[in-house]
Amino acid sequence: MRATKQKQVAIYLAAIVTVVLMGFPLYGVVLTSLQPESVIRSPELSLIPTTLDFSHYASLFSDGHPVPLVSAIGNSVVVAMFSAFLGVALAVPASYALYRTSAPGRRLMMGALAAIYVFPTLLFIIPLYIMWVNLGVFDTRTGLIIPYTAFVLPVMIFILGTFVRSVPMEVEEAARIDGATTRMILTRIYLPLMKPGIFAVLILGFILSWVEFTTPLLFTSQLDIMTVSLALFRSSFDIQIGQLAAAAVVTAIPVVVVTVVFQRRIVGVLTGADR
Amino acid sequence: MAPALLLVGGVYLYPIAATLVYSVATIDIGTYTIESFVGLDNFTRVISSSAFIPTLLRTLYFGLLVVLITLVPAMFIALLLNEQFRGRTFVRLVVLLPWAVPPVVGGVLWGQMFQSEFGFINRILGELGLPDDTIWLADPALALHSLAIAEAWRWIPFATLFLLAGLQTIPTNTYEAAQVDGAHARQRLWHITIPQLMPTIIPVIIFVFVWAMKTFDIIFVLTRGGPGGSTTTMNYWVYEQGFETFQFGTAAAIAWLLTLVTILVIGILVLINRLIFANKEVR
Repeated sequence: MRATKQKQVAIYLAAIVTVVLMGFPLYGVVLTSLQPESVIRSPELSLIPTTLDFSHYASLFSDGHPVPLVSAIGNSVVVAMFSAFLGVALAVPASYALYRTSAPGRRLMMGALAAIYVFPTLLFIIPLYIMWVNLGVFDTRTGLIIPYTAFVLPVMIFILGTFVRSVPMEVEEAARIDGATTRMILTRIYLPLMKPGIFAVLILGFILSWVEFTTPLLFTSQLDIMTVSLALFRSSFDIQIGQLAAAAVVTAIPVVVVTVVFQRRIVGVLTGADR
Repeated sequence: MAPALLLVGGVYLYPIAATLVYSVATIDIGTYTIESFVGLDNFTRVISSSAFIPTLLRTLYFGLLVVLITLVPAMFIALLLNEQFRGRTFVRLVVLLPWAVPPVVGGVLWGQMFQSEFGFINRILGELGLPDDTIWLADPALALHSLAIAEAWRWIPFATLFLLAGLQTIPTNTYEAAQVDGAHARQRLWHITIPQLMPTIIPVIIFVFVWAMKTFDIIFVLTRGGPGGSTTTMNYWVYEQGFETFQFGTAAAIAWLLTLVTILVIGILVLINRLIFANKEVR
């Protein structure tokens, strides 16, 4: 009994250390965003707030703020949604073709898709930058959606591929004997069975597009096309620590909320338990 | 399938080929077209420059550092989450959250943590009676290590989830047998858990190492490669050459050198992995 008691104490100590070390940076930024600038800059350390001050958020969203955060959020929502849906629309047939057919060069394609994540991102960005300038899509939403979609596509294909493989081959064969076409098999058999996977990769695509920083940094220069992560970076030139913290919280909130709500599903899909 | 191929081809294959061409050329900045072909000049200039070896070693050191600062806590947290206890879901959520934090938010957040005057780290050190005036991000010896902490914080969730999935595949009767034989918790960790987990640990090391070598966002937001170039990794060097001085040819050459280094690192890690498994079979 003593041993298990000791073990219990050790577990809870470890849990507290883990929560403090991993969670503190997030707590710190939320706390900073809710404190008056005078408290943030005072020499006293106060980890438990005595007053909450929402003025940083208010001034962030006020008209005429130097960094147009509201329009940046709008841009990010549009670009991230487009990229996620476009990515899924392309990844569903691609994952079927790569994981279920005997298309030539299948293994090579899969290897190439995985290798993409080995190359440094800037290796792709340099020629795309030059191409975008020449094609006139620099500083447009299209110029962001195309690389975003391509960046999320391989991981979408891999995740959906595991769902494709979980569909029994006999089901497809039976349908073929009954005269079903490939399109029918894809929409009537695979699509319904892939639903949890499609849902997961939609969320993943949205998150990955929302957080993308390098692409908008290098592919946009105008304020009105700015995405939310870029807006946050631009506001870091501001001297107001509290406002910067508030902008960081606003940028992180959508993805954090999605992660909290879909925690189980994301963990399940990533670790392969959800099939 | 065809549209996906077209997109992947356009956004990946074309740039890979184009960067290779740029690496042996100079680019005219006015028209964004190839000016002339210069053979291997870009490569020889990069390799013979005094910055090359330090930057290469810095990149490898940073990768190793991030792997260590990611893997050790992740192992500890995975072992913790493998136990049944109340509040486990909450702990898992807190551990998962940094993964959902956009890298640029991570940059801003750690910038405020490391800030020398008002930052939480120095404040807390001060409360504990320790020196509270360390300039984390502006000290050439400390900046890279501070960045590694910020970067590792983002990778711990991923590493933990994979190690946890690996832990759950170890049959519990292995532990029970060891317990009967009187093995201590630490012995069980070193002689059962870690060897059994190797097939999971090695891929995690590969992933984190590769991603750490490609780090851009955190460096850009926190130190911009400074102070005095002490946080300029090869990837950041590509950015500087490409988008600060607009030497696209040089940037392309460095990007390809980084790719070669990355492939070499993966090769070595895979080889280590093979050796470990070959040993196991002999035993």
